[in-house]
Amino acid sequence: MSVVSDQGASPISILLVEDDAPTLWRLQDALASAGFHVTSAATVAEARASLARAGPKVLLTDLQLPDGHGNELIRETRLRYPETEIMVISILGDEESVISAVTVGATGYLLKDAFPTDIAATVRELVAGHSPISASIARFIVRRTQSTAEPPPGPPLNTAKLTPREIDILWGIAKGFSYAEIAGHLGLSRQTVPGHIKNIYRKLEVHTRGEAVFEALQQGLIRL
Amino acid sequence: MTEAAPTTAPSGRRRWPKRATLLMQYLLLQPLIIILCLVVLRIPPPEPPSRYLVTDFSLKENDAEQRVTLPHFTASRHAMNNPPLYRGRFIWPGGEQGAWSVFLPRFTNGVEVAVNGVVILDSRRNPAANRPDRNTPEIAVIPASLLREGDNDLAIRLFIWGPIRGFLDRLYVGPDAQLRPSYDTRSLLFVTLPVVFSAWQAILAVILGIMWVMRRHEPAYGVLAAAMAIGVGQAFFQTPLEASAFSRLNAILISAAPLESAFVLSFALLFFGWKWPRYGWLIFVPGLVVAATGLVGDAKLSRDAFLFVGAPAVGLYLIALALIVGHSVWRRQDAVSFMLGCALTIVLTCWALDLLSVLQVVPSRRILLARLSYSAMLVAIGAGLTWRFARALNQVDGFAARMVTLVREAEGKLKASFVREEERARAAALARERTRLMRDLHDGLGGQLVSIVALSERGNADTGIGDAARAALKDLRLVIDSMDDIGGDLMLALGSWRERVTAQLRPHDIALGRAVGPQGLPVHPELRPWHVIQIVRLLDEAVTNAVKHAEARRITVSIETITDAQGLARGRITIEYDGRGFELAPNAEAATAGPHAARGLRNMRSRAARCGAELELTSDAGGTRVRLTLPHRFPDSDAAAG
Repeated sequence: MSVVSDQGASPISILLVEDDAPTLWRLQDALASAGFHVTSAATVAEARASLARAGPKVLLTDLQLPDGHGNELIRETRLRYPETEIMVISILGDEESVISAVTVGATGYLLKDAFPTDIAATVRELVAGHSPISASIARFIVRRTQSTAEPPPGPPLNTAKLTPREIDILWGIAKGFSYAEIAGHLGLSRQTVPGHIKNIYRKLEVHTRGEAVFEALQQGLIRL
Repeated sequence: MTEAAPTTAPSGRRRWPKRATLLMQYLLLQPLIIILCLVVLRIPPPEPPSRYLVTDFSLKENDAEQRVTLPHFTASRHAMNNPPLYRGRFIWPGGEQGAWSVFLPRFTNGVEVAVNGVVILDSRRNPAANRPDRNTPEIAVIPASLLREGDNDLAIRLFIWGPIRGFLDRLYVGPDAQLRPSYDTRSLLFVTLPVVFSAWQAILAVILGIMWVMRRHEPAYGVLAAAMAIGVGQAFFQTPLEASAFSRLNAILISAAPLESAFVLSFALLFFGWKWPRYGWLIFVPGLVVAATGLVGDAKLSRDAFLFVGAPAVGLYLIALALIVGHSVWRRQDAVSFMLGCALTIVLTCWALDLLSVLQVVPSRRILLARLSYSAMLVAIGAGLTWRFARALNQVDGFAARMVTLVREAEGKLKASFVREEERARAAALARERTRLMRDLHDGLGGQLVSIVALSERGNADTGIGDAARAALKDLRLVIDSMDDIGGDLMLALGSWRERVTAQLRPHDIALGRAVGPQGLPVHPELRPWHVIQIVRLLDEAVTNAVKHAEARRITVSIETITDAQGLARGRITIEYDGRGFELAPNAEAATAGPHAARGLRNMRSRAARCGAELELTSDAGGTRVRLTLPHRFPDSDAAAG
């Protein structure tokens, strides 16, 4: 485990919401040892209180919480504290959990069993504006851009705002190409690719009132 | 008749020159036909040797006597009570020469022949001979007892009942054997043939009648059937000589020709798609007038009516018919109009010649051919209808064939779409199942495994429990990932795999290189989740070997499409890594590696075999290469697993 250098005068503040104690300790350890300022919460209510006290730079939240769903927290945070970067903590990194969080405002995900160094690195990248994405998530999004007769199962997703270039990037990721390879293929600078991912997440977010109603239905689906 | 119209005829002026050419051809052909007719009609009908000719007679007509030479036209149109009497003589050489006959090739209207004062022939008893429109010949054997050696008297009484002047052609007296062949030929031409044609007409009338009954929307057939029926009636019922119970009714039959031609004209109008003229029914008036005179007036009046009303009407209708058909040749340019037009020209020519002959404008032997040539037109109509019928059958055949093709195509499409539908339903069911499973695993097993990872790290990091739990989570992700519908693109599965391997290798500080050929991997629509699991596990096994046994520093994955010996495109995945190699025993097991590695190699082989892929292992001190060549088509069932 490499020792992470100090981030500067003011450490990045993180609100970590996780109800499973061992997991919470694990993540907290990994982040704290990397120099982040971590506040933890085990329920939605605690998290709200913590958010109200001090708007953190990063919100890391689990989805299944004792008194509510992580997505409610994500949506609230996104509305009230637009500056806060939001990441969802996922067990499997599956599209069901990640995409539903992305549509309410998350711009990244973190695997619960990730190595501590990876956890810290992912959060730091997120703060720098680089959103992580997995091949299976990219695959899920690009397959939704292809027109099909009936809506495929899984969370609903409006991919209409994505540009052809963004879809190309997603294809590259789905097929396991590295950012450098994708940048080379598409004639981009390697550094811009992670920024594109964040843009993609932002475009998948549900904003309008109608979309919010739709999204509420989706919440119902997820809670089934 | 609409389907007979050339619907494919290109519109407008573009085809104009072609049409004009065709019409010119048609118009040029008609004079040729007329000339041909005239040439053919100039060929005299067969006659016996001229030494048996008897031409010099003294004629007593209306109590006036004169010498005449046959052929001879009488002055009167009607002479029943006091018929003209021709007296002549012939020489019988005597001896044994067989029977002698009197042969009269042509006469109108009836003859009574007497030899040496004894009547041997009265043509009025032969109904066929009583028709002036048929050129019926007569022959009579002279009883041997009547003949005298040397001069014999021959007396012929010519009965005339109109409507044309009496006529007596040159006659022959000679040995029956010499005269009969030409008599037979003439009766074949002028008696039997019209009967044959009439029979044909009768059959056509029945066929056309049936056609009309079955296809009421085509009245042209019905009209033509009526024309034919009238023609048949006219041919088989005889005009009366003596007053009888049916004579008045029979008199109507004389109106057959104008009525028939009126019907034929109507047929042409309907057949060629003309709008029925407002006063179109007027064309039936001449026929009805003749019929009425037949009913009301006497036989002479009705015959005169026929001559002065019926015959010109027939000619008029023939000319109208020719114009209609000509117009149709111009407009429709089809074989039916063309043929009908040519046949009509023949009829017209014959009708004109008959008229000139009857009016004695040109010298003639009064062989009337209009009626006979009418059958030429009949042949044309019959041929035309047969042609149309065959064409319609062909169209039906073509249509049926086209329908069969269309139905087959539709069937194929339906089948394909059914297969597609099934495929989609299967994929949807799989996706739903996967979603359900994923939720289950996420909420249950997944969470528990994560807890184990966390707990093991908190307690003692060296127990290996955390690694095992992590491996279980990794496998869980692999199973869920493999169940996703990747549309047969193995590259998508390898994308996730690379991600997992990268995460796996990061703590070990092993570099992962990847090279993808320009074509990547072929798409396999038949690819199933279990294929994907087998391949990914095989690749995992290779990576695990590299990490655990070879202590590799660098692993390279190459993905390419190759063309095999059969010329088929096949995907190939190669994993190469440096570090400690191993020796392969002859049974291709890793001899120098431990039992764990040996089991790993066995597993890899069995996984490759189950997917129909070829696995090739090479290892030496410099490194190891695992080359997996995918099948051109993945097997449907997991045979090796059974």
